[in-house]
Amino acid sequence: MPSAEPAPAGPLLEVDGLTIRFGELTAVDGISFRLAAGETLAVVGESGSGKSVSALALTRLLPPPPACRLGGAIRLEGRDILQLDEPSLHRVRGKEIAYIFQEPSSSLNPLFTIGAQIGEAIRLHRPDVKDPVAEIVRVLDLVGIRDPEKRHRDYPHQLSGGMQQRVMIAMALVCQPKILVADEPTTALDVTIQAQIIALLRDLKQKLGMSVLMITHNFGIVHGFADRVIVMFRGKIVEEGPAETVLRSPQHPYTKALIACIPRLGQKQERLVTIDYSTLGK
Amino acid sequence: MVSEITRQQFRRFRSLRRAWYSFWLLVAAYVLSLFSEHLANDRPLLMRYDGATYFPTLKFYPAEAFGGQYRTEADYLALEASPEFKAKGGWMLFPPIKSDPLRSYLRESGSPPHAPSARHWLGTDDSARDVAARLLYGFRSSMTFALTLAVIGAAMGIVAGGIQGYAGGWVDLAGQRLIEIWSALPFLYVVILIGSIYGQTFGVLLFVFLLFEWIGLSYYMRGEFYRLKHQTFTQAAQALGAGPIRILYRHILPNAMVPVITLFPFMLIGGISSLTALDFLGFGLPPPTPSWGEMLQQGLKYLYAPWLAISSVTALFTTLLLASFVGEGARAAFDPRSSNAIR
Ligand SMILES: Nc1ncnc2c1ncn2[C@@H]1O[C@H](COP(=O)(O)OP(=O)(O)OP(=O)(O)O)[C@@H](O)[C@H]1O
Ligand SMILES: [Mg+2]
Repeated sequence: MPSAEPAPAGPLLEVDGLTIRFGELTAVDGISFRLAAGETLAVVGESGSGKSVSALALTRLLPPPPACRLGGAIRLEGRDILQLDEPSLHRVRGKEIAYIFQEPSSSLNPLFTIGAQIGEAIRLHRPDVKDPVAEIVRVLDLVGIRDPEKRHRDYPHQLSGGMQQRVMIAMALVCQPKILVADEPTTALDVTIQAQIIALLRDLKQKLGMSVLMITHNFGIVHGFADRVIVMFRGKIVEEGPAETVLRSPQHPYTKALIACIPRLGQKQERLVTIDYSTLGK
Repeated sequence: MVSEITRQQFRRFRSLRRAWYSFWLLVAAYVLSLFSEHLANDRPLLMRYDGATYFPTLKFYPAEAFGGQYRTEADYLALEASPEFKAKGGWMLFPPIKSDPLRSYLRESGSPPHAPSARHWLGTDDSARDVAARLLYGFRSSMTFALTLAVIGAAMGIVAGGIQGYAGGWVDLAGQRLIEIWSALPFLYVVILIGSIYGQTFGVLLFVFLLFEWIGLSYYMRGEFYRLKHQTFTQAAQALGAGPIRILYRHILPNAMVPVITLFPFMLIGGISSLTALDFLGFGLPPPTPSWGEMLQQGLKYLYAPWLAISSVTALFTTLLLASFVGEGARAAFDPRSSNAIR
């Protein structure tokens, strides 16, 4: 593959014909997209359309080959992730591409303080840090945890769901990744907390200038947050474009149906729009 | 590494009075039994003789030193009774039980087994050895055996189960089939066979028991490792770039300790009762060793000397009961299912 050129103008991440198979099942069928430095890309799609597995595939977090086979190429600054050996892969995970997951409550190890868990990330990827505690306090402050000097000694169960998700974000950010992958980071949270977390992410991405890959069901989040949108349906990308364009004039019937579901202020909705799968076809 | 949850579990364990007191009783009894030489011995703890002070339970003194003829160890009981000892103003402070577990005290009137008396609180067995002393030493060897067995067996179970649960796939499948075959080996035959080849020493018995001891816990550990491997926080750690070793030691192992804690007292019980059963059948520790199984056996043989059966059965029953209370409490305090209800 011609990946030798040091293309500075090229995209940060380039996914080219990615295919993910679990035995007979093809979960993702040849998707291609790019993510530029500093760009925010939203991946929207219904349940089971392959959003999460695509995100996990970016650092090969899926089961090893006999159970799950990956095809195509994922180039991070020109290097193909699918060709990397294990040690290099461990250096990409967290350091270059970091994740936030859906369930903050189960994403933290119950036996260790949140400070210790953020400290683990520092130890893994930033051995140069002299004073880890100061760094832990700094990132906790950055994600809006009040009283971080005290709070970093708390155990996960002593925090609310929203605070746990903030800790997860702090853990992802402390390694200063180039790309932050957020897989439905607000689904498990209360609506008001959802808005706070999204506002926090928007704020952080501007402050830190990293790329964000935001996976969601919710077109409401896309608006004002993402630069571009990918719509996935049954393992394929069915629509792609700038966020505002897709929101204003969706092309694919599935996208239209999803956008019609966004509740709008001052607009009475008679019935919830349902998706007629028989007309969507292939 | 002691988290709030763990501390809460310990606090809950302490609040279960029966388990808490049983635990400390057992610990105290075992620690005391480690000093059996100073609790049950026919050598005095402290002796004054001819103006000098001696510590016979700590140090060897030849009979010559006290006017005897030989270089062998002095017979303090005989010495104490000798008129010349008293004449020289000597006195002795004996341990509470004034008998050695291996020595026959035939100077008692009548034939052994002797009934309980002021000299032998729980009587003597058919070789005129003091029952109380033998019970104490037997407790020490049973507990030492069972503790060693449980600790090593638990470690083996964690490793075996952990490998299967963590690796999964064909490793798990092959491991499970091997365990099925292995656990079908008849334990008693293996003990008799290996014991008759290599002799029934403490080490050989421990080895044979260990061949099977790990199996029970390994099933639990396999499940725990499998479950924890698929927990979100393990996957989050993986996504953070943590290698498999780090994930195992930091995220899986510490979270998998509950079955170890709750099963440990029962492994201890199993160890004590199996060793006793084996001793009872005569395939256990070799003869002069003080052992509860051998004492039970005598109890059955000399039903007309009920102190033999009563003392050994009471000792065994009490120990096992205390250990069960500890196990019951550990289960109540550490089992996550019960902790959810309280939290
Ligand atoms: N470990 C796995 N083994 C087998 N199949 C899997 C595995 N993980 C995911 N799949 C399958 O891959 C497909 C895509 O799953 P994925 O989790 O990516 O969906 P999703 O778009 O994230 O859905 P949701 O919005 O509900 O999270 C599904 O059909 C799922 O059953
Ligand atoms: Mg998903």
